[in-house]
Amino acid sequence: MFIPVFAQLWVFHYWPMAGIRFAFTKYTPFIQPQYIGFDNFTRLFNEPRFWSAFNNTLILSIGNLLLSMIFSVGIALLINEIGNAIAKKFVQTVIYLPHFLSWVVVAAIFTIILSTQGGFVNDLLVKLGIIDEPIYFMASKDHWRGIWYFINRWKETGWGTIIFLAAITGISPDLYEAAEIDGAGRLKQTWYITIPSLMNTILVVFILNLAKVMNVFESVFVLYNEMVYDVSDVIKTYTYRVGLQNNDYGYSTAVGLFQSVVSLILVTGANWFSEKINGRGIV
Amino acid sequence: MPEDPSLKAYQIIFQQESLYTPFLVSVITTALGTLVGLFVATIGAYVLIQKDMPGVKIISYLLMFTMIFNGGLVPTYLVVRDVGLLNSLWSIIFTLSMNVYNLVLMRNFFEQIPESLFEAADIDGCSPIGIFIKIVLPLSKPALASIGLFFAVAAWSEYFHYVLYITDTSLYNFQVKLRSLVLDDQSMPAAQAAGVSAKTIQNAAIIVAIIPFMFIYPFCQKYFISGVTMGAVKE
Repeated sequence: MFIPVFAQLWVFHYWPMAGIRFAFTKYTPFIQPQYIGFDNFTRLFNEPRFWSAFNNTLILSIGNLLLSMIFSVGIALLINEIGNAIAKKFVQTVIYLPHFLSWVVVAAIFTIILSTQGGFVNDLLVKLGIIDEPIYFMASKDHWRGIWYFINRWKETGWGTIIFLAAITGISPDLYEAAEIDGAGRLKQTWYITIPSLMNTILVVFILNLAKVMNVFESVFVLYNEMVYDVSDVIKTYTYRVGLQNNDYGYSTAVGLFQSVVSLILVTGANWFSEKINGRGIV
Repeated sequence: MPEDPSLKAYQIIFQQESLYTPFLVSVITTALGTLVGLFVATIGAYVLIQKDMPGVKIISYLLMFTMIFNGGLVPTYLVVRDVGLLNSLWSIIFTLSMNVYNLVLMRNFFEQIPESLFEAADIDGCSPIGIFIKIVLPLSKPALASIGLFFAVAAWSEYFHYVLYITDTSLYNFQVKLRSLVLDDQSMPAAQAAGVSAKTIQNAAIIVAIIPFMFIYPFCQKYFISGVTMGAVKE
């Protein structure tokens, strides 16, 4: 019975690994793979577009990661302070929701809101006299990253609180009782008990996500456009364009391999850290 | 500001035959993707908990390794092309269903089933497949619900793999259709002829894309959350 599963694993995961050899070849739909050694990598390291994509990957991912830690922990702490169980449940239900919207839907919603023709945000800014002309936000190099961070946080912050809320439930009530007897208010309890107790979870979530920084893709893919490639193009979108729109299979495999290797190093490092902190690895 | 609220846009949307097919494709791939995904995850997880079966360690390493390293976008595309799955919905379904992360979640759940149950069934002469169907699956309903929902949401939201593997527009799902509606204001002349603006149609299409999920979400929230905490917090 395991055979179909194994076949699938082989076809979709291990067979493609054999394709890594194309990274060392010249290969397009019109010519058969020809071995060219490390030429693709030389080209890659001399390609400004590649470095721009590499920088964008780091800036977008790491910026988003830091923001996600701050907001998810902060909001988890706030939710924890809601006394009324029904209100708490309601808030959780509402903030988890955007996580389940597809990136296409989210991009559609924000494209409409930010549109220059009757988009809500531009209408408001013009009416308030803050700007004279509507701004084409999605095509503006000054605004694109900020908007991308915002949309990511809007979509994922709520979902990110789940793990911290679960960890808060695990904190022993004795600690809070003792603090109360010592005369600590809610704020002090949060500062001296909840946050220190969460430190381990925060660190683990941070490391886990740090291992994934190279993977950023779909959120960029549905929100970027040619006018903002300089600030938005990431490694994966770059790979997709050169590989499957320009059909340069050999070179794009090299770009993909570079990404996979960096990811592998990050994950292995994260695993090592996690074992040190938590006594168990992540994979 | 909204003027003359009406359901006309929905009427028009539901009359658009160009939207039926994408919606149907979405429904079919979601159903099949979830079923095949659960099949792969449960069978895979069941194999991983057979501690005395020879080769389990190797299979486990092979699975885990794919979580940290992969061939990359283009080699995977070339394989899908070579096995003849381009322009076939199976490329979408197979890619979706082979999800090692969900498989590991399922294994974590199976590991909590008391060993003594397996032993008792074994002594009573139950075959491994019998144990799987009669003991493991019935005891795993919450995990099946959680992980099934993860598969369903992922399948419903799928967009990129359609762009990647499929060029035949009659095989596009609702997400791809929605995207083209938003990017191209002129993509539905019939609707505009009926006096509904492109923007209204876009809004209505967004609502149609999220409604199936909105129906199930309130009832399933606890399964979604248990799916997250199942693998994460161990105390």
